[in-house]
Amino acid sequence: MDAALDGAVPLTLYVPAASPLHRLHPVTKVAGLAAFIVAAFVVDQPLALAPLVLAIAALLVPAGGLPNVRRLRLMFVLVFVFSLVVWTLFYGGRFGATYAGFVYGVSTAIRLDTFLAAGILFLTTTRVEEVAYALGRMGVPYKVGFTLTLAFRLVPVFFDAALAVVQAQRCRGLELHRGGIVARLRRFVPILVPVLIGALRRADRMAMALELRGFNSGRPRTTYLRARAGGADVAAGAVLAMTTVVYLALWRSGLGLLGR
Amino acid sequence: MSRAAVAVRGLRCAYPGTASPALADLDLELAPGALAVVMGATGAGKSTLARCLTRLVPCFVPAQVSGDIRLLGEPIGERRVAELAGTIGMVFQDFEAQLFSTDVTQEVVFGLEHTAVPPAEMPARAARALATVGLAGFEGRDPTTLSGGEKQRLAIAGLLAMRPPIMVLDEPTTDLDPVGRAEVLRVLAGLRAEGLTLVVIEHDTAAAMDADLLLVLGEGRVLARGAPRAILADVAACAAAGIRAPDTCRVFAALGLPDPPLEVEAAAERLRAAGAVPKPPRFLPPPRPTGPPLIDVRGLRHRYATGHEALADVSLAIRPGEFVALVGQNGSGKTTLAKHLNGLLEPTEGTVRLEGRDLRALSLEQIAQRVGYVFQDPDHQLFAATIEEEVAFGPQNLGLAPAEVEARIGEALAAVGLEARDADPFLLDKGVRQRLAVAAVLALRPAVLVLDEPTTGLDFPEQQKMMALLRDLHARGQTIVIITHTPWVIAEYAARVVLLAGGRLRFDGAPRQFFADDTLLAAAAFRAPDVTRLGRLLGCTPLSVDELVAWMPRWTAPCP
Repeated sequence: MDAALDGAVPLTLYVPAASPLHRLHPVTKVAGLAAFIVAAFVVDQPLALAPLVLAIAALLVPAGGLPNVRRLRLMFVLVFVFSLVVWTLFYGGRFGATYAGFVYGVSTAIRLDTFLAAGILFLTTTRVEEVAYALGRMGVPYKVGFTLTLAFRLVPVFFDAALAVVQAQRCRGLELHRGGIVARLRRFVPILVPVLIGALRRADRMAMALELRGFNSGRPRTTYLRARAGGADVAAGAVLAMTTVVYLALWRSGLGLLGR
Repeated sequence: MSRAAVAVRGLRCAYPGTASPALADLDLELAPGALAVVMGATGAGKSTLARCLTRLVPCFVPAQVSGDIRLLGEPIGERRVAELAGTIGMVFQDFEAQLFSTDVTQEVVFGLEHTAVPPAEMPARAARALATVGLAGFEGRDPTTLSGGEKQRLAIAGLLAMRPPIMVLDEPTTDLDPVGRAEVLRVLAGLRAEGLTLVVIEHDTAAAMDADLLLVLGEGRVLARGAPRAILADVAACAAAGIRAPDTCRVFAALGLPDPPLEVEAAAERLRAAGAVPKPPRFLPPPRPTGPPLIDVRGLRHRYATGHEALADVSLAIRPGEFVALVGQNGSGKTTLAKHLNGLLEPTEGTVRLEGRDLRALSLEQIAQRVGYVFQDPDHQLFAATIEEEVAFGPQNLGLAPAEVEARIGEALAAVGLEARDADPFLLDKGVRQRLAVAAVLALRPAVLVLDEPTTGLDFPEQQKMMALLRDLHARGQTIVIITHTPWVIAEYAARVVLLAGGRLRFDGAPRQFFADDTLLAAAAFRAPDVTRLGRLLGCTPLSVDELVAWMPRWTAPCP
């Protein structure tokens, strides 16, 4: 198979680069993501959201995240349009377009796209292994972080196998889009059985390969990643703390909220 | 005498619910730094031996194990698999199952993190392991973006970083193309040079030639053990054990000559000295089938969404009754081309016509009735509870009447030689599953049968059965296209070779012309079968051992 060409597309958005953002301590980066999400969550006044949007855009450029934004541009558009249409039409629980609904729709669309952009910024600058490391430092059990890493590694492999199965069955005349709902569901059996059995077989081999690499050896774990918090982390932490405080204040005072 | 790296005494292993043991009375002793190659047919006990050495049996796969296994003098009797990490490593055929990280360096240090290696040591160990497997400079890459051969080498590096003195490799090259295979075999030579004790399970005799010990297993027992050259020279014993003996040995055996060399150059020298000079008949170019093409590809170009141009300017016609081998390295575009033959991919430019109709105008289901496609891994399509249901699936999708479906099942199963209609497909051996997959597609009565690497992952007897099946089908008029990397399959079975390189058609002609064109073969990193190479040194181009032997003068073997 021409694996490198029509094979698995990596799920990761990580861009190997030496930007200052990349060099931040993983815990700082997780905190940054959390701060952005909290800030964009508590306010809904577009003017209050604007600084967040600008900040993320300004950070995405040096981090090398613009190609990722381009890659996912369809998602940005979909999220925006969907939110705008739904809120404009259904604001206040009744069907019918309202101006208040339109404004709220715009605000929600911006917030959701901000979440998305913050997520992309985070994944552009942070390896999945760093996320696992940060979670570990924050007291989350190792196996949770490891499962996360493994998911990012396996999802593309799994999709590849599923695609092969779909193609194989279609070549035997399987039509997925025909008939009623029951008939359609039944047609997924020839897809699901090989995919699941293949995944189980592979999981079995994977468990063996894991132990062969010393997983569960009973010896203390060491980590290759060694992140040291530096001046940049202190500065970033201060900015993040301030941002969070400001946005919480905007929320409590009502200044950052749309009038109702 | 230094102590043995691996010492096995009276090993017996029986899986629950099986009548006979998977291994019985096995003794094995390997000095440090030795390379042992284990061969044998499916079910011989090769993987069981590998898994017993690493304690995967019985820790992961329940089994009754008795006997004594010592690694570096230490009994491993009650040890857990993970406790042996760093003592013995094991590589599987399935390279995807051995990678757990999204970054090459992280992958290599994974084992170190779990065996309490101080972080300060890790960078040097990772760099060294990557250099040994030829992946220096790959740091920071996502393993998902690597080729099969690179992934397998990364899996080896991940074990190597833990510095195990012993390494077991269970068919490490079976799923790789010739280039990936050569890469991994080179790494094996490197490991040997570093003094590791290696146990390698392989189907191909080429990997066994230089081993210190060849162990041939059959139904759980040792059929032969000793110097590879002596064992492989016994052609009859190899056949009995389900091993394809080297071509030079088969030629020498047929001519009654003793002590066959394994290298073709030495063999040619000996044959010349013995006066055995082949007299081939004159070959006229074989007649090409005429008539309207079944599949007509014109000016095909394909560009993937990534922008990569996988095919350019490909034109070829496949006519009724042809047996075509589609060859080329991974990335050459052959799978892309094959997926245009059955409508799974659409041309970016150019046309593909099926019996005169543009494929774009037909639905996949309509195409499926005329072009059958057997995927490489039968497990990608088997899903039913019985063989009968599995074969019935295609005809039922076509909406055929029950009586017709029944007739198709009978016909397809008879063609592939399967009888037990109620058997559970998932309990069958790989080779039988592969033939069942062929039957399931044959039941659609396709005009063209396309098979993606039909012999990959099968042992030699099953490979022969599969190819005999295709030869029978072809003799009955079936048009066949196979994608393959295996030189002897091309030489002995195909009537036409289509070579792709870099997305372009580089050769389209008879196998004899193909294997006689040394520049073409070199450029495509392709190797002719040994018997062909031997013949070329003697001035002819035989495609099989039988052919070369038939061309030899009638003579009596000289007594040494």
